[in-house]
Formats: sequence, structure tokens, C-alpha cells
Amino acid sequence: MIGMEQAWLIPVYSFAAFVLIAMVGRYLPGKGVYISIIAILAGFVTFWFVLADLFDRSLPDTFGEWHFMLEWFTTGDLTVAWGIVVDPLSVTMLGLVTFVALAVQVYSLAYMKGDSRIDAYFAYHALFAASMLTLVLADNLLLLYVAWELVGLCSYLLIGFWWERRSAAEAAKKAFVTTRIGDVGLLIGILILVTSTGTFDIGEILQRVTDPAPGEELRNAAIWGSAVLIFLGAVGKSAQFPLHVWLPDAMAGPTPVSALIHAATMVVAGVFLVARLFPLFEEVPNVTLLIASVGLLTALMGAGMALVSTDLKRILAYSTMSHLGFMLLALGAGGFTAAIFHLVAHGVAKAMLFLTAGSVMHAMDNETDIRKMGGLRHKMPITTAAFAIGALALAGVPPLSAFFSKDEILLAVQEGLNPVFLVFFLVAALLSALYMARALRLVFFGPLSQETEHAHESPSLMTVPLIVLGLVTLVLGFVALPLGGGFEGIGHFLFVEHVHNFEFHAVWAPVGIVLALGGFVTGWVLYAGPVERVDRIRKRFSPLHQLLVNKFYLDDLYQWGIDQVALRAARIVAVFDRLVVNDGGVNGFGGTVVNAGNRFRYLVTGKLYNYGIGIVIGVIFVALALWTRTL
Amino acid sequence: MTLLHFEILSAALFCLGLYGVLARRSAVLILMAIELMLNAVNINLVAFAAYGSPEPSTGMVIAIFVITIAAAEVALALGIILRLFRERSSINVDEIDLMRG
Repeated sequence: MIGMEQAWLIPVYSFAAFVLIAMVGRYLPGKGVYISIIAILAGFVTFWFVLADLFDRSLPDTFGEWHFMLEWFTTGDLTVAWGIVVDPLSVTMLGLVTFVALAVQVYSLAYMKGDSRIDAYFAYHALFAASMLTLVLADNLLLLYVAWELVGLCSYLLIGFWWERRSAAEAAKKAFVTTRIGDVGLLIGILILVTSTGTFDIGEILQRVTDPAPGEELRNAAIWGSAVLIFLGAVGKSAQFPLHVWLPDAMAGPTPVSALIHAATMVVAGVFLVARLFPLFEEVPNVTLLIASVGLLTALMGAGMALVSTDLKRILAYSTMSHLGFMLLALGAGGFTAAIFHLVAHGVAKAMLFLTAGSVMHAMDNETDIRKMGGLRHKMPITTAAFAIGALALAGVPPLSAFFSKDEILLAVQEGLNPVFLVFFLVAALLSALYMARALRLVFFGPLSQETEHAHESPSLMTVPLIVLGLVTLVLGFVALPLGGGFEGIGHFLFVEHVHNFEFHAVWAPVGIVLALGGFVTGWVLYAGPVERVDRIRKRFSPLHQLLVNKFYLDDLYQWGIDQVALRAARIVAVFDRLVVNDGGVNGFGGTVVNAGNRFRYLVTGKLYNYGIGIVIGVIFVALALWTRTL
Repeated sequence: MTLLHFEILSAALFCLGLYGVLARRSAVLILMAIELMLNAVNINLVAFAAYGSPEPSTGMVIAIFVITIAAAEVALALGIILRLFRERSSINVDEIDLMRG
């Protein structure tokens, strides 16, 4: 019987698939791509057993009750284990990752059909799934960090999968370097925690932070510093201001990659990390306020840029940014359940939206400019329905999935933070509905354009994942409610210390619904109407529009920083490297040896009697030395 | 006849041999000079064994070892010298300086 103890199998399946495809994939029929799909399917099935087992055993009371460990290595007093932790948070993430990865990999079968490197594509996918699943299961910070870097690597490889295109290669590099800035913070944060507690184990660290034995309290600075630095890692990975610039560019990768990595799984790793170490952040209210502020700012910026972007995938990317901001805002407000719930609801819906975008691109020769689209509902009914469900869900229209989670966030923000946050959150939610309506209206409705006339619905390998994801988006929200059978709503399931029932706030829930519907209808009417009206609005807010179109000039600012500061400093360092390290150090040693050799070579005459004399003199000296010692 | 006489004989023979090794040009003569040195050592060993040692057999055994090894060495060295003569028509060691730096 497979139970919680066997949860470690889930990443292992995919890792085995990665090794198999990478080593022998090219000799197998169909390049072995199905191995990856079988592995993730096995993972998905195992997830249900693990979930059932988790319910059977009643929920753990505190973090870290269910550990399953195997020693990894010991150095000095420090023992590091291959440990997994099976708790509601990790099981929820397991479900999301295996489900979305399964849908995306099946979809990729059709989407990537005919690509000459399809085996590499699926090998990367398998490695990604293995690393992401390890990341969510890890019970110690070292394993978590390794998995964290591995998902970053897979992201790099998959964004740059079509490296023949310059833009893809550049985007991959940008994503890798930008997230690296955050990763350095994360590493230092982890090291601070490890040096001050002496263990990598997350459960023990949280124990030491929240409820230390007398005399074992951590210094405030250590907690504060590690919280800020770990949050920096989350900022990089989850594309939050000011490290968000890589996410829109990452859309240069294949669209299913965007759906899996840059919408549903890897980018939420930052949110997951903050959630995993939530008790640590709760100890430092200043940092939670920082998290909430960064999240809210990113949510607003992302929503604004999504509103003016003309590239379908970029709209979705900015929307992802914005929703990741919502999640961190919820965490900053103390709404653990709200954040994770929204993470799951958004993950499923956004993965589906990206897959529909892929379906549109598939039908239109990789066109992503929404100005050239229109009327696709006549040609692609299933894709249109899926996009509509996703757009309505993320706009927060009841009773779709993200409506429930957004309501949770609303409650959390209202309870935990200043009313200013609530107001701006509502603005961002309104914008969210607005840009989703705009995308839906411009791409799928209205008259057929010249470019869309020859579009066609995608093959069933692509539409079936869309339908499945769409159905899940329709019903997922209801897990917020008590469903019977011992399940009392996600508020009871996810985090036992903060149990709460799902409820509608008497004032704010209606306001949220009205804003979502109002935003959606406004967007619809605006973009269904004459073009001149939109142009007029654009002109009136011209400076703001320019600011949004130019992405707040942050890309330009960073480019300036790289050119003027980083590269200049690099040149100085390069001179030092060439003159001192290379010429003086490396070549210097070599040159000294050559010179010495040139001098000493004259001692080697090749005359036998020279050597003989040498031996005799040597023996005499040794004899003298021994003799003087005996005196 | 005392130990000293044997010592003087041994030392004289050794110095003769050493001079031969260093001063001669012919490889065969150098080989002979080496034999001289080895035998000087043998005299030394046997003399100490006969006069001074509480366990006389030690020195004699080592002397026999030296003789054996000297025989092997001569066989090997003569082979090398023969080969050298065939290659170069000369056994003058001054001309053999391939390893010069």
C-alpha cells in the first residue's frame, strides 16, 4: 500500500524518466517522450494515495510531524538528511505540480510535434518535475536550496530551448541572472539560519525561532536578516518588483513551458518558500509589512502593464506577476490559507490560459500580437471556452475558482493590514478583471481579421488538457466550503494553527464581486466599442500610458546600470586580472621555471666523469657529516 | 699481519679504482676500475669478519653477495658496451653525451 512514507517516490519517478530519456531516449521509438508522461502520471496517481493517507491519519498538529528521513551526509556535528515532509502544504503543492505538469506534458506532445530536439524537451520537463517536487517535499533547507537551483536551471534550459533565436537565448540568460540575484540572498539567508541554529532541518529551525528553549534564543538580527534575505530569494523566483523583469521576457520559450514553469509551478516557489517558513516571518512584523508592500506594488504594476501590452503571452505574464503579488500580499497580511489557495486556483487557471494562448499561436503561425487577432471563437470554440473560463476565474467572477481565493485574500488583507492596502488591492483586482476582459474580447470576439481567417481548432491532444483544466477551474473553488466526509473546507486543511471557516465579509465580499463584474463588463464594453473611444482614453492618460508601455523604464534603467556601472567595473577588474593575475601570477610562475631551467641546463654536461666527481664529492660530504656527528 | 694492513691494502685498491673510473676514457677500462673498487670493498668486509666481528659469517656472506652482483653487472655492462661499439665504432665515454643539457 502506498502511503505518506512513499511520497518520496513522486519526484524519483520523474528523475528516473529524466535519466532514461537523456541517456537512451534517442534510441527509443518516438524518442522516449512518453517515459516522462508515464512518470508524471505515476506521480499524480501516487499523490492521491498520499492525500488519502494524510486524511486517514488525521492532520498533523504542527509543522514537521511527518518526516521521513535517510541520512545524506555528516560533517562534524552537522548531519544532513534526504528528508521529506508530508504535510497539507506539501501535499497541496504535490497535487498542483503533478496535475499541471501532466496536462502540460500531454499538451506538449502535440505542440512540440516534429521538433528535432523533442527528446531534450521532455528530458528537461522530467528534470523540472523532479526538482519542483523535491522542492515542495524537502524538509531541510539544503535540499530545498538544491532543488530551488535545479528548477532555475530547467527554467533557463526551457526558456532558451529555441536558442537559435537570439531573443530566446537572451531571455534565458536574463531570467537566469536576474533570479540569481535573489538566489544569493536566499543562500545567505539560509546560511545565517544554519549558523545560528546549527541545523538545516526546517522544523527544528522554526522551533528554535518561534519557541526556543531557555538560553537558546536567536538574536533578533539573525531572524530579521535571514527573513529579509530569504524573502529576496522569493522576490527573484516569483518575479516581484524589482526583480520581475525576467518574467515577461521568459515568454520567448515554448508556450507549454510558460504554462508550467512561468505560471503554475516554478514562479510560485517563492510564495511557497515564504509559506514554508511562515512562522519565521511572523516573528518579524516589519518584514511581513515589506512582503505585503512588495506584493501589492507588483500586483498593481503587473496589472497596469497587462492592460497596455499587445502581446498575448506578455499579457498573461504580467497577469501572473500581478497574481503572485496578490499571494505575497496575502502572506504579508497573515493569510496563509488565502495565499496557498490562490496559488493553486491561479496555477490551474493560468496554466490553462497559457495553453489556450499556445493553441491560438499554433493556429496562427506563432502570432502573438492581439491586434492581429479577433473572432477566433468562430474557428476555435474549445479554446475560446477555456480562455473565457480562465479569464473569468482570474477576474474573480463567482463561482469560479479564483473568486473564492480572492475573497480569502480580501478577508486576510482586511483583517491584517492597513485599509490603504485593501483599497489598492481592490484597484488591482479591478484592473485584473479589466485586462482579462480586454484580452478575451480582442482575441476571441469581434469580426474575423485577415490573419485569423485560416485559423483552425487544435488537435485533441491539445484540447483535452484544456477541457480538463477548464473543468477543474470551474469546480476548484468549492474546496473552500465544507464538503462533508471530514473535510471542513481548505481553511481547516492547510494550516491547523490558523483554522478558520470560509466566510463572506458582509461589506467587502459584495464590493469584490461588484468590482470584478464591473471591471469585466467595463473592459468588455470599452473594447467592443469603437476604436476611437479607446484611443481617446489613451491620449488623455498619455504619460501614464507611456510609462506602462515602457514597463516603468525599469528595463532601461537596468540596462543603463549594466552598461555604465557593471561593465565599467568589470573592465577595471579585467585589467587587474590580465596584468596581475595572468601575467604576474600564472605566466610568472611558468616563466620563472623556464628561466631557471635555461640556467641550470649547463650543469648537465653528459660527461661521465663530471657525474662521477659529483658522486664522489657527495659521498665525501655525507661521510664527513656522519663522522662529525659521531665526534 | 694486522687488521690495519688489510685496511691499507683495501684503501689503496679503492683509490686506484676511483682514479680509474674518473680518469679513463675507455668504457672497458672504467668497468675494470669498478671491479677493482668492488674487490677493495670485499677485502674490507672479509678482513673485518676475520678480525673484529663477533659473528664472522655476516661479512663473508655480504662479500659473496657483492661478488655475485659484480658478475651480473659485468655481464650487463659488457653487453651495453658491445652494443655501443656496434653503433658508434667507439667506446670512448667522452663521445657519449646524448643526455647533455
